[in-house]
Amino acid sequence: MEQTNKLPEKVKYDLKFAREIYSLENGSYIKQCMQCGMCAISCATRDIMDYSPRRLFNLIKLGKKDEVMQANTFWYCTSCCTCLVRCPRGVPLVDVMHDLKKYALDNGYGDYPQAAFYKAFWAEVAGRGKSFEGGITARYFLFRGLDEVLKYMALRDVGINMLKHRRLPLLPPKKVKDLGNLKKIIRKARELSGKEAR
Amino acid sequence: MKYSFYPGCSMEATAQANLKSTEAVAHALDLQLEEIPDWNCCGATVASGVVGDFTQQVMTGRNLAIAEPKGQDVVTGCSSCYLSLARTNKRFKEDEHFKAMANEALAAGGYQYNGTLRVRQFLEVVISDVGFERITKRIKRSLKGLKVAGYVGCQTVRAIPYEFDDPEYPVMFDRLIESMGAEATAFPMRTRCCGSSHALAGTDIVVDSIHRLFDSAAQGGAQVIVTPCPMCQMNLDAYQQRVNQLRGTNFNMPILFFTQLMAIAFDLPTDAWALKYNIVSPYAALAPYGVR
Repeated sequence: MEQTNKLPEKVKYDLKFAREIYSLENGSYIKQCMQCGMCAISCATRDIMDYSPRRLFNLIKLGKKDEVMQANTFWYCTSCCTCLVRCPRGVPLVDVMHDLKKYALDNGYGDYPQAAFYKAFWAEVAGRGKSFEGGITARYFLFRGLDEVLKYMALRDVGINMLKHRRLPLLPPKKVKDLGNLKKIIRKARELSGKEAR
Repeated sequence: MKYSFYPGCSMEATAQANLKSTEAVAHALDLQLEEIPDWNCCGATVASGVVGDFTQQVMTGRNLAIAEPKGQDVVTGCSSCYLSLARTNKRFKEDEHFKAMANEALAAGGYQYNGTLRVRQFLEVVISDVGFERITKRIKRSLKGLKVAGYVGCQTVRAIPYEFDDPEYPVMFDRLIESMGAEATAFPMRTRCCGSSHALAGTDIVVDSIHRLFDSAAQGGAQVIVTPCPMCQMNLDAYQQRVNQLRGTNFNMPILFFTQLMAIAFDLPTDAWALKYNIVSPYAALAPYGVR
């Protein structure tokens, strides 16, 4: 496979980036990776990933910030958990991928369409306490722009079928009644996790 | 038996068929599902990628905190909700430091969770608490000869490995299909990913994943695919036509929730079958069994 040969040109160790990643919630697990490749052969989307998880971990260890953050690897993870149950070192790869997504969004690496989807999903949940497909879709296109809308015209059959079979409510679900307190909880949780990354 | 029920957002929207058939089947089996009052989104597999695992788990923990005083097992019909709720619950039980921190955050909204509950899937409740024998006894409409591919999906068996079945070669779902009188067909890709939440941002991923699944199910001779997961159901049902368009295939495979098939086998009122929500029509495959 072509992507297997994609190696950084010069190996220059920059441990600052590695340390930053290790300090994320599940980041220290990356140090446990022994490069066996089990995640690579297990992954449902490995074929279209820039680097398999184990290669990505290697790049992190080398401090290759741009290569890591610009890779599609963690955005293409589908959370199917196959790697998670197979990893002989018990690395919770799905959770590590979450950390990498969050780090990418926090540091301005959010160009993949998946990043827009993630932000759209969170905006709905944070604002209502529940997710609403219609709102997520609208926000997604807002983030991605008109070009993306046109591209999706090919998919209009999917949408029409969903509507026809009453599977896309046009009105959002009722907000969580205790939304004020839910927001307080989320704010406090974000504050705490910022203070102490484990 | 009484349970605290967590429906999840999908049951109110894309997976209403799941809610209708689950409630009806539960009622028929004397399982009382009491909805957790004012529950909030579990964050699915997405929220963590924006706010981190801790924040998502605290948010999920609010649901468990509300359910805790009743002391009943928390049951959900969605694989993704199960993943969030069950893993959060496990952390509350096993990680004292997490529990203390999470409760500090929950306290900001007036909640507290002590980690005393069990989180379960409706599928597992049906299999463990009801059992195959009682299900077989309850059958009123024979599904003999119906060839069913049991698509377990990923999170159902892998969220907490070995809690319920083997994470890669589960057998219970096929046994459930057979206890309903139908025939479980060979389906080696039964736990392979459907493309999950990429339906919007990465349509190619979904099309590619489900194409392989249809191939595998068709090779086993399946007439219908049955699944416990709302995400799997939606991807396979809504994008099937797209696979046919893009790949020149001719799949016409109805995708049912296992609870829909149970509602049919139990001969519950047609409302409980909730077949009007199915995009790929199941009527041709089920006509020999009097479903119309």
